[in-house]
Amino acid sequence: MAGKIKAMCNTIIAKRANGNPVIEKLTKTKLVLKGVNPDQFTASSPDDQVIIGKLVQIAKDLGVTL
Amino acid sequence: MSVITAFTEEKVIQTAVQEIQSKLAVSQPKVVLYFASSSYNPQEIAPAMNHAFPGAAVFGCTTSGEIISGKMAKDSIVAMGFGDDIIGDINIQIVHDISTEDNVKQAFNAFEGYYQTPALELDPTKYVGIVICDGLTRAEEKIIDSIGNLTDVTFIGGSAGDDLKFANTYVFANGQAYSNAALLALLKPIGTFDFIKTQSFNPTNKTLVATKVDEANRIVIEFDHKPAVEAYAQAIEHSAEAVNAGFMSHPLGLMIDDEPYVRSPQQANAGAITFYCNVKEGMEMSVLESTDIIADTTTAIEKKQAEIGTIKAIINFNCILRTLQLESQGNCQQYGEIFTKIPTIGFSTYGEAYIGHINQTATMLVFF
Repeated sequence: MAGKIKAMCNTIIAKRANGNPVIEKLTKTKLVLKGVNPDQFTASSPDDQVIIGKLVQIAKDLGVTL
Repeated sequence: MSVITAFTEEKVIQTAVQEIQSKLAVSQPKVVLYFASSSYNPQEIAPAMNHAFPGAAVFGCTTSGEIISGKMAKDSIVAMGFGDDIIGDINIQIVHDISTEDNVKQAFNAFEGYYQTPALELDPTKYVGIVICDGLTRAEEKIIDSIGNLTDVTFIGGSAGDDLKFANTYVFANGQAYSNAALLALLKPIGTFDFIKTQSFNPTNKTLVATKVDEANRIVIEFDHKPAVEAYAQAIEHSAEAVNAGFMSHPLGLMIDDEPYVRSPQQANAGAITFYCNVKEGMEMSVLESTDIIADTTTAIEKKQAEIGTIKAIINFNCILRTLQLESQGNCQQYGEIFTKIPTIGFSTYGEAYIGHINQTATMLVFF
């Protein structure tokens, strides 16, 4: 399977930012500082379960429902 | 009233506070922010400063050197009084036991009660936070991460210092000095504000991936599946035995949209490298090379002025490693003079805060 990491990153950023481009950039920065860089993944990236696990926790921390 | 700064090198606390009071009190500031050398007894200076400005919110911390418009100083106190034409409202919370607990949510419950707004609904263009942590707790990452989870308001700041003694650092509020604590101040400025984050490094074409880490202790054990010292020494073209010599000029940068969030190596030990902030497993970082602090800081301020307008005040959280570099180059006076025409106070920090915990950076809160 592939693409789940990118999709999760995009969902976290979109839901937290709610259309605000400044908050989109801020949320992306927070993701990188939390250890997951969205720019390193694409729709073809394999689904790495360790990173998916990190994103599940990050979403919870940021109050985002995946 | 806007902004007034004050500076004293008087060693007797009562005299020092009187000197600051004589410069600021007549304007009846709403907020007084001060940074004091650790040479002043923190248990005496905190109540004295609070008593000197009844009716004002008075807060600050201990330092590893002070900054005021026109100069870098040591063994002094710098202070800035803000009128209610600059800061409309402020609420200050102390988060206790930060080395073992995470009580940031309690502070934000208090902010929500005070401003009658859920933290996630606070408008980041109308509110700004200052965060100052005890610089010896290694808790900054946890505190700033929690803040970022709870709000999209930017909290900017740094870690309190103690003149390189690495014994005790303190934050000041409520007339008290606190250690093992973080001070969070949530401000509602009247006018425009913005941020400057400046670090004098360019990325090289070399990168390192942290493949094995002890995150809690800020240790990288392996880069690219090789012992960290060996991989880092290869990247900076130094011998592994003399790798420490490269630390100051070749920290690592977590690159976010072409901007480095600096991670500075502290010491090599048994093949591993301890950093001044944590590195997560899997982080890919660029090896950085140092540039010119004076030129870069000057450019950053000029760019901000050109972008937004005349600066009314700067609070400058400037890494102690930058201060040490300026001292070694004989450039402290030049650095202070960058701020001659702008009301500025700041201090040399044990780490800086801007979205995350970072090193070898100056983070500045700028009021227009």
